Amino acid sequence: MSGTPLLELRGVDKSFGPVQVLHDVAFSVHPGEVTALVGDNGAGKSTLVKCISGIHGTDAGEYFFEGQPVTINGPRDAAALGIEVVYQDLALCDNLDIVQNMFLGRERRSGLVLDEPAMEEEAARTLASLSVKTISSLRQHVSSLSGGQRQTVAITKAVLWNSRLVILDEPTAALGLAQTAQVLELVRRLADNGLAVVLISHNMNDVFAVSDRIATLYLGQMVAQVRTTDVTHAQVVELITSGRSGRLGTATETGNGYLSTRVAGAAE
Amino acid sequence: MRAGPSQEEIRRQNLGALLRHVHVHGATSRATLTTELGLNRSTIGALTTDLVNAGLVSEETPRETRRAGRPSLVVRPESARVYAWAFSIEVDRLRIARIGLGGVVLDRRTVERPRGLLAEETAPLLAGELKRMQQEVRPGMICIGAGIAVCGMVRRDDGMVRLGPHTGWVDEPIADALAAELGTGTTPTVGNVADVCAFAEYTRGAAAGCNNVIYLYGDVGVGAGIIAGGRRLTGHGGYGGEVGHMVVNRDGVRCACGSRGCWESEIGEYALLRAAGRPEAHGREAVLAVFDAADRGDARAQAAVRQIGDWLGFGVGNLVNIFNPEMVIFGGTMRDLYLAAAAQIRSRLNSIGLSACLEHVRLRTPKLGDDAALIGAAELAFERLLADPLDAA
Repeated sequence: MSGTPLLELRGVDKSFGPVQVLHDVAFSVHPGEVTALVGDNGAGKSTLVKCISGIHGTDAGEYFFEGQPVTINGPRDAAALGIEVVYQDLALCDNLDIVQNMFLGRERRSGLVLDEPAMEEEAARTLASLSVKTISSLRQHVSSLSGGQRQTVAITKAVLWNSRLVILDEPTAALGLAQTAQVLELVRRLADNGLAVVLISHNMNDVFAVSDRIATLYLGQMVAQVRTTDVTHAQVVELITSGRSGRLGTATETGNGYLSTRVAGAAE
Repeated sequence: MRAGPSQEEIRRQNLGALLRHVHVHGATSRATLTTELGLNRSTIGALTTDLVNAGLVSEETPRETRRAGRPSLVVRPESARVYAWAFSIEVDRLRIARIGLGGVVLDRRTVERPRGLLAEETAPLLAGELKRMQQEVRPGMICIGAGIAVCGMVRRDDGMVRLGPHTGWVDEPIADALAAELGTGTTPTVGNVADVCAFAEYTRGAAAGCNNVIYLYGDVGVGAGIIAGGRRLTGHGGYGGEVGHMVVNRDGVRCACGSRGCWESEIGEYALLRAAGRPEAHGREAVLAVFDAADRGDARAQAAVRQIGDWLGFGVGNLVNIFNPEMVIFGGTMRDLYLAAAAQIRSRLNSIGLSACLEHVRLRTPKLGDDAALIGAAELAFERLLADPLDAA
């Protein structure tokens, strides 16, 4: 099941001026798995995601994709590798319909005009492959959709582009119970279809419901990356709040996030 | 001594295999069928012709293949034409659906069911709705039988419902009661709802490709459909999988089955509503209301969800240790419970499960959702067709 990680970061450092946000971070993501990225506010989750997606450059560290070292100089490089990020604000256009949103900026053409039927067909196929049943018409304006449906559209949009790795930033944060359930099932299905998924969440239930691995950031250090079958709720909360839990987690004293990750991974 | 299978038996076997393939995987080209089934090209041609003549499949030229050579004909199940009736008898509702070959829901209805209705009272209710649905079936359609999913213990030999503690059924001959109403001549096949859901998810849902699966179905009671080594595990008489009556708490409350401390009296509907301080409420809506209240921050509801989740984790841990499944699917209201209390369930499971058994277990919610019971019930009826396509049709 493990094999080569799709994405692997080693020893990533990142500072904003005098503030060092990421210290020697190691992070790996496997295809077909949901990796939950957890940590308290300010632990560096968003910064790490921005480094992965090329928005921020890194100060030090290595970036491997499918085992090959790559250099990411901007969001385009990351997108070319098949990395898509769905941010909390979703970045959908309210005045456009679902198909237009999905193909925004990457419209299909046939000759001089847009190839609407082809786009609609592909959007429908992608939604069907994820067993999405909550959307009745693809020509609905996004403004008429509920929060859960918008999240679904945003996630499906990310999948449409032969993506390999989808990063979801708090996809259930603003949703009600039924919609949260649907989005969680969708997240699981993405991974079951073979994609690598990174899920950022503060909700331990969501993390335990869908993730295969849990990576914990604590004050800019990756303190543990463990399999979800090996930990309990209390241990993860402890890791988030204090950076260690029993044999798990690193010690800030040694300041060695990378080593401890390997120790935690050795249990596999 | 018996000689090898006759020509006729081999042909029947192959027809069944071909029909099963398109039934499960949908439209498939003849070329793919040749490789998948390991049969000769001309054999596939002959078998397809037989099935086309029987009206079970159709053939057409694919629109575009983008490959060199003459495109291979695509064999498609006649989903709109060949159908089975599927009934699902649940604690609070009755559902009827007409399901086409290939697992397509063609039509469906739901009827409220007052709790405690017996089989002879339930059958006319179902029959009345069935009559209305039958009027909409166009002529020329082929009905191949019916299947029934019941919340209760079902005798495999004749579909007698031996005990449904929450439906109040004891020795109810639902299959015979409905056979008279259907008027097709064949007796419907009856299965326990959890078994039937497990079968549906295994055939065409979340567990496709997994040979060791546990499907937990919960409403008032809890049952499991167990697939071990690719076979349904139903026990000697068909009553296996009653995991809801696994005793987990010696000091627990009395269960509807007469015992004390059964798993379902710790995780079922009544347990949740009692823990949430709403003992008068009942039904699926009431259960969902507790999850919703917990989500909105109601402390009592949150505590109830955590407590029930913890108990659910206990039982799942035991099941995982005993059966070493690849997948555990949470169906019925267990789906909502799983999504609302995954942290507690996982934590408990991880602390009591043996690490070797936990290694590859995946916890999932159903892909077919609530339709699983109906699709699975139809699947029971389709089994007869797939065993002998030309005779049954």
